[in-house]
Amino acid sequence: MPALYVMIPIAIIIVALAIWLFFWAVDSGQYDDMDGPAHSILFDDEDPQHRAGVDQAAGKPHDQDAPRG
Amino acid sequence: MCCPGCQAVAEAIVSGGLESYYQHRSETSINPDALPNALSDELTLYDRSDVQQAFVQHSGALASTCLLIEGISCAACGWLIEKHLGELGGVGAANLNLSNHRLYLSWDDSQLPLSQIIQTLRRIGYAAHPYQADQAVEQLAQENRRALRQLGVAGMLWMQVMMASMATWPEFNLDLSSDLDRILRWVSLFLTTPIVFYCCGDFFKGALRDLRTRHLTMDVSVSLAIGGAYVAGIWSTVTQQGELYFDAVGMFALFLLAGRYLERRARERTAAATAQLVSLLPASCLRLDKQGQSQRILLSELQLGEQILVPPGALLPADGRILSGQSSIDESLLTGEYLPLPRQVGDQVTAGTLNVEGPLTVVVEALGNDTRLSAIVRLLERAQAEKPRLAQLADQVAQWFLLIVLVTAAGVGLVWWQLDPDRAFWIVLALLVATCPCALSLATPTALTAATGSLHKLGLLLTRGHVLDGLNQIDTVIFDKTGTLSEGRLTLREVQPLGEDSPEHCLGLAAALENRSEHPIARAFGRAPWAAEQVTSQPGLGLEGVVNGQRLRIGQAAFVAALSNTPTPAIPGNQGQWLLLGDERAPLAWLVLDDRLRSDAPALLEACRERGWQILLLSGDSSPMVAQVAAELGISDARSGLTPADKLAALQQLHNQGRRVLMLGDGVNDVPVLAAADISVAMGSATDLAKTSADAVLLSNRLDSLVQALALARRTRRIIVENLTWACLYNGLILPFAALGWVTPIWAALGMSLSSLLVVLNALRLTRTPAVAHAPAQTA
Repeated sequence: MPALYVMIPIAIIIVALAIWLFFWAVDSGQYDDMDGPAHSILFDDEDPQHRAGVDQAAGKPHDQDAPRG
Repeated sequence: MCCPGCQAVAEAIVSGGLESYYQHRSETSINPDALPNALSDELTLYDRSDVQQAFVQHSGALASTCLLIEGISCAACGWLIEKHLGELGGVGAANLNLSNHRLYLSWDDSQLPLSQIIQTLRRIGYAAHPYQADQAVEQLAQENRRALRQLGVAGMLWMQVMMASMATWPEFNLDLSSDLDRILRWVSLFLTTPIVFYCCGDFFKGALRDLRTRHLTMDVSVSLAIGGAYVAGIWSTVTQQGELYFDAVGMFALFLLAGRYLERRARERTAAATAQLVSLLPASCLRLDKQGQSQRILLSELQLGEQILVPPGALLPADGRILSGQSSIDESLLTGEYLPLPRQVGDQVTAGTLNVEGPLTVVVEALGNDTRLSAIVRLLERAQAEKPRLAQLADQVAQWFLLIVLVTAAGVGLVWWQLDPDRAFWIVLALLVATCPCALSLATPTALTAATGSLHKLGLLLTRGHVLDGLNQIDTVIFDKTGTLSEGRLTLREVQPLGEDSPEHCLGLAAALENRSEHPIARAFGRAPWAAEQVTSQPGLGLEGVVNGQRLRIGQAAFVAALSNTPTPAIPGNQGQWLLLGDERAPLAWLVLDDRLRSDAPALLEACRERGWQILLLSGDSSPMVAQVAAELGISDARSGLTPADKLAALQQLHNQGRRVLMLGDGVNDVPVLAAADISVAMGSATDLAKTSADAVLLSNRLDSLVQALALARRTRRIIVENLTWACLYNGLILPFAALGWVTPIWAALGMSLSSLLVVLNALRLTRTPAVAHAPAQTA
């Protein structure tokens, strides 16, 4: 069981880190709007950066994949 | 396209490359025509730096502000606004919060004036107002974040505590050395301490407050269980013996905080949507100087005795007397009168009413707190203080529950003290933990949260917590007429041709003329098949114009008859507003406009009667329309011509008879009664003041949603009772085992989580309501 002597402090440190991260997220307003972000992914199709990413992933810059919607 | 406004909006959207708004929008957005008319010179007021000072912050080249957006109906609106603004040069960032409809905006002041941004928003169909967070809203946001932090901390720490403390339980204890056992106990104590002091602080505070006022509530019960388990845990950690209940503390805290957080969230959303604009008066007005030139100023700059110009379609900013001009004034929000009343030189006018027809010059006689409008607001404050509190079922149960547990614990403790003094303490503790009212305190919040969500889908927003529980105690219902049982606006009832033309043809001619008019009556006529030319308006009399080469007049009988030099025909009825249509040869038709009953009003009345409620109709309208509505709906007790104070007195009389009253209304004259009624529902089209003083807002404006809400309230009540019964049953079952000393921490934890899960799942059944709503015959 000697491993526990190391694991327990590490666990506590990780929890402390997680709580700090969570507080930061709450304070920076990430949880203030619970409805909007859920819908925002729907609009990514038209985002030029998203388009560019899709094209890049397909390996072809101007393929037939683009005008579908 | 229904109107040129929509056409313009659609063009703006498509030319902006934003067509996907139409793909993703889930609800049709409101008609831009319904928004207040854009007054560009009012908007330029927002560019004045002394005006901006209140709501704009500057940092470097960028200015930032928060605007409140009206007219958002779904997520696509948010996307459209952000995209559209992002494409304007000079806008740094535009973020719309869909929950509370606030737009956080930063832009370059020197490139782009604020008024232009607001105008751009108007063009795509949204009205924006500068938003200043008041203290209450700010505090609410703070509390929200704190509640979320407490929930998060409780969740994360509880998992760690569970690992540490479960390892010490005999069921899981493989070969723990005594050193490690001690370390694990101290670790779980270390991790539990923040849960108790940081996360559960509110429970202890609440318990203390309730004990001071001699009440045994859920908070007392909860604090006792958490506090007891924690103190015993410290004891057992220090002495190295006895059972560890730290994980129960964490689980309990997490479940309770989650329940309360969800309930808060559900109500919050609705509160944010309604508690927005409590402004009944326009922000600016047109002041006339000595030379008769008008200048737009802020309302706060207006002084007594000054002259103002009120154009048709504008709200009166102050009480005053008419100096010149002739018009009719729509006072329906203040008095419940559904027809605009004619007003001429020398007549008194009231702040907050709508000038319908012609421009008026008014001398200001009362401002701000001295107006009739604010007298009603003061009445509202008095009424709020008198609002009775409906007893909450859960608190009543908690009281008995706690008494029984305490008495049993004392009894069991005494008996064990005689038998085995060493074990007595641990058995009493196990009993307190095992019977801790986790499921009991989750029973109500989960059911209310689920039901609030379902009601939201039906279009009924609950802004205060007692509505669902309280709807079951109601025995009297008060309705307002104008805008509540009736639509609150004029609609065409009938066309009576006088000549040979068909009613449709006459209506078409009338619509062609009226389509050129700004008058609110004009909307009742719908779309015109032809276009009218040379339309001129005679305030107080009617319209004249040429349709298909035919010269026509519509309006007052004498005015129309004068065109053809025929005798003025007598008005054939007395209800509603009669307009005559005529050409150069003869009068053509009578058109009757009237305020129509909502089509679903009879269904609501039926539902109320079915419940055996006493039904009252209290209206400020003094016209015979009240008696007619009452007769049509079968309401025996209808009173008309009541002032706000009269309505409040009627309510107080009912309260003195021990009645529990539900009030449905919309106007400013209903506001005091809405505030004082046990439960009040404001229509979605109501004034902001009415919405904020009501307990619920019927956003959909459909009375049949209210019928469904009544049914849902019943089901919610049943679910709450089921939940409470189950929670008590579980606690009652485990009580004898705990008293016998058979309950160890593992059984307490298992029982607690299983009973809580059951309660939550039971409550989730309430979320299925909208499916039932489509098939009313089916009973759930």
